[in-house]
Amino acid sequence: MCGIIGIVSKRDEKASLLLTCLSRLEYRGYDSAGVVVMGKEGMKVVKSVGSVENLSRKFNIDATKGNVLVGHTRWATHGGVTDYNAHPHLDCAGKIAVVHNGIIRNFKELREQLQSLGHNFNSETDTEVIPHMIEHFMKMGEREFDAFKKAVNLLQGTYSILAVIGDRIYFARKDSPLVIGLGEDKFFIASDISAFLQYTKRVIILQNGDIGYVSPGGIYIENGGREVDYVKATIQITWNAESASKEGFPHFMLKEIHESPLSVKETIEGLRSDIENVRNVTRLIESAKDVFLISAGTSYHASFLFSILLQREGKRALPVISSEWYNYPKADLVIAVSQSGETMDTLLAMRHFKELGSTTVSITNVMGSTISREAEYRLYMRAGPEISVAATKTFTSEIALFYFLKEMLYGDVNRLEGVHAVMEKSIQMEGYVKDIAKFLSLKENCYYLGRGLGVPLAMEGALKLKEIAYVHAEAYPAGESKHGPIALVEKGFPVIFIDDGEVINGERKSIILEGNVKEMEARGADPVIIGYNSSLSSRLSVNVLGEPGYGPFAISPLIQLLAYYTAVERKYNPDRPRNLAKTVTVE
Amino acid sequence: MKAVVLAGGKGEGLYPVTQGVQKEAVEVCGKPIVMYSVSGLYDAGIREFIVVINERDDIINAIRESNVEADFEFVRQRQGGITGAINTGLDYVDDEYILVFGDIIAENSFYTSLLNAHQGGEPTFALVPVSRGLNTYGLAKVEGGKFVGLTERESTLALGGAYILRKEKFDDFSLYLRRAVGNYFVWSGLWFDIGYPEDLLRSIRGLLSDAKTTISRRAKVASTAIIDKGVFIDDGAVIDEYAVIRGPAYIGKNSYVGNFSLVRNFSCVERNSSIGAYVEISNSSIQEGVEIGSKSYINHSIIGKKARIGASVVTASYPATLIRGEENKLGALIAPLARVEHGKVLPPNSIISERES
Repeated sequence: MCGIIGIVSKRDEKASLLLTCLSRLEYRGYDSAGVVVMGKEGMKVVKSVGSVENLSRKFNIDATKGNVLVGHTRWATHGGVTDYNAHPHLDCAGKIAVVHNGIIRNFKELREQLQSLGHNFNSETDTEVIPHMIEHFMKMGEREFDAFKKAVNLLQGTYSILAVIGDRIYFARKDSPLVIGLGEDKFFIASDISAFLQYTKRVIILQNGDIGYVSPGGIYIENGGREVDYVKATIQITWNAESASKEGFPHFMLKEIHESPLSVKETIEGLRSDIENVRNVTRLIESAKDVFLISAGTSYHASFLFSILLQREGKRALPVISSEWYNYPKADLVIAVSQSGETMDTLLAMRHFKELGSTTVSITNVMGSTISREAEYRLYMRAGPEISVAATKTFTSEIALFYFLKEMLYGDVNRLEGVHAVMEKSIQMEGYVKDIAKFLSLKENCYYLGRGLGVPLAMEGALKLKEIAYVHAEAYPAGESKHGPIALVEKGFPVIFIDDGEVINGERKSIILEGNVKEMEARGADPVIIGYNSSLSSRLSVNVLGEPGYGPFAISPLIQLLAYYTAVERKYNPDRPRNLAKTVTVE
Repeated sequence: MKAVVLAGGKGEGLYPVTQGVQKEAVEVCGKPIVMYSVSGLYDAGIREFIVVINERDDIINAIRESNVEADFEFVRQRQGGITGAINTGLDYVDDEYILVFGDIIAENSFYTSLLNAHQGGEPTFALVPVSRGLNTYGLAKVEGGKFVGLTERESTLALGGAYILRKEKFDDFSLYLRRAVGNYFVWSGLWFDIGYPEDLLRSIRGLLSDAKTTISRRAKVASTAIIDKGVFIDDGAVIDEYAVIRGPAYIGKNSYVGNFSLVRNFSCVERNSSIGAYVEISNSSIQEGVEIGSKSYINHSIIGKKARIGASVVTASYPATLIRGEENKLGALIAPLARVEHGKVLPPNSIISERES
């Protein structure tokens, strides 16, 4: 996902206007940014790795003026995070500047053809073919708009495109959002209305197949060769800017939970397309005598789960809480796991083990982050930008990545084909989870119990409840609960059981857990069952059915939704947990 | 964009409260049900409404009385059923339009969310989590980040009664939904589909749960009356000596609560109603212009418009059978203009229609 914004004005505007709009799109991606300003002195293009703020500081362009301005904020999925790969991309003559959101599937063929025609490319991106194609058709004698249309016609994939030629912005939309804002003396065109809502509330939502241009004199849109009456399509917006980026969901957290099946699919597809790199890492795991997984918070729970998967296969693997690194000797292999790739504790721990001589592998969501740069080998979650402070889709993407490694090592990665479908099934159980949350929202304490893979999941469930619903939740291995914790249990005390449907030593986990449920019930506790293929029953339960072996994928969205709805029932904003920051860059 | 609001249903689930009164004109906390979607859409920037109604004029009156400054086109439904209602409205829209069921009570931001969710191109569907009476909802299947039609089982995400669609006539709207594909969002805020009595009573609970006490300056509250937290007293209401309003509760315009009466726990007394002395009302909806005689006990009940309840009438509410309810409590459902004699004791799930009484 990327964010794009264009402004065409009757008079000169400062680039600071564009930068303000652009920064509102950073939720769509923030690993690099770039702008084009078309003014009296011609076209000025700047782009860089890092945030919009970084771009404006680096090039000091706030005061640069022009009447056509275009900006882009990038979230890399394929192709590294480099200044060259940042948008906009230009044609050979530097007269056509293009920004793009989406994926062009046939770019390799197009690029080869263009290269054979003598076009030079500066980046690894799919986008760069577009300005060169327009240039090509213009050289063939086509007028600007016709050349643009011809170029767009040849693209396969999904896109919203803005191309600056002279004082016009040409645009096209297919499956990636694009909206026009009609201002007093200027027009805006962006991925999302929140980019310009501060300046105008009159909006046209573009449809698939819409293609046209915005010039100081007006707007032209056509679809399927016929002109579109844009006046009819104009709507008045009265809602606030912040909510638009949540695409209808009341909170980013809920939106991201709903994105998680697709994110997991992306994670797996991404690993498949990066298979050489994955093989390097699995070879390292194979040859290492011991593996440390260093991480914090949610990533620690995913790492803990991975360590269980590895240990079951006879591999010595230990999850290490980043800030506790000093307790451990050197390991052959150290895998650092961090969504942002900037977690200070994890970075320091990784550096420490690197100094001791451990081989280092990073697993991050943000490409080009510090941890990924400093590690010797790197893998990416490719879960897309995560705005919610409480990690959700990156947790499931981490789990998917770990399962992928495990299947590469000891099984068959094709077994993971159904995991996103299991997650979708699980998300459809949202109504039952909300019901449990109503009950839980009235409590101040609870236990989260599980066995095997259920233990790290219980820990993650408890963390989520603490983080956003402010319910004191403690996770234990279910068998451990009678060695102390049960002393606190009294009438009405909630105990959440995670039953991931596994079979342990020939016995179904439901059967083993049943004893634990009974001993809690006997003390008046209110058991809650969160299950996958579970046969446990309780007044408060949610159970997903599916193929064996996918337990963690089914359970994760449920524990996240439970925390989410508990927070909502308690009237807390899950997107703004108190005392917490998304990226912890302090020790 | 124009909104097509469907407000011509039969309202069978709320029978007999909807006998002679259009369901969407039934009042909740001082507002006809249809005005919740209209004002939500207005808040989201919609100014053109096509309101599909049946032969009754209740909805026209309800919307006109509300003084919302927008263009309303009232069209009488030409063909039966939901499909007929939508097709009737379709004649008045251009291309993309918002389709809203007029019997949904949700926060205004629900409709803003719908517009925010819409990315152009594909239709957009609002989904809400539900857990009771699942077979009374259209349950959505989600796949690949999209809404991909309805499913019979294995889903608790219900269609939320608000969609953005492209203009096309339907042969059968439910068949269309079964196979439709589009964007969706999930709404976790207040939302009630007023299909059954328990929905109406629950909606009062939802709407009043955060209420702060507000007393209109044009209301008259006796010095000995007790007004608790979460009570809204509207213009011209009179609360007589020693009456107690234990919130959350709503006392409508120009209504009267007599001496020593208690109105409590999520009750709505709509406008122009009169509650006699020594009456207790809890968890109930008293519609416009109702009269309740002294010493009556009304709980978990809905009293239809201008019904007259005698003195010493008692409603029992437990155990009741509910379709979507969370607790098994439902008292009496009383038709508009019905009369209940003095001293009647009404068992749970009672239905008093106009003619019987």
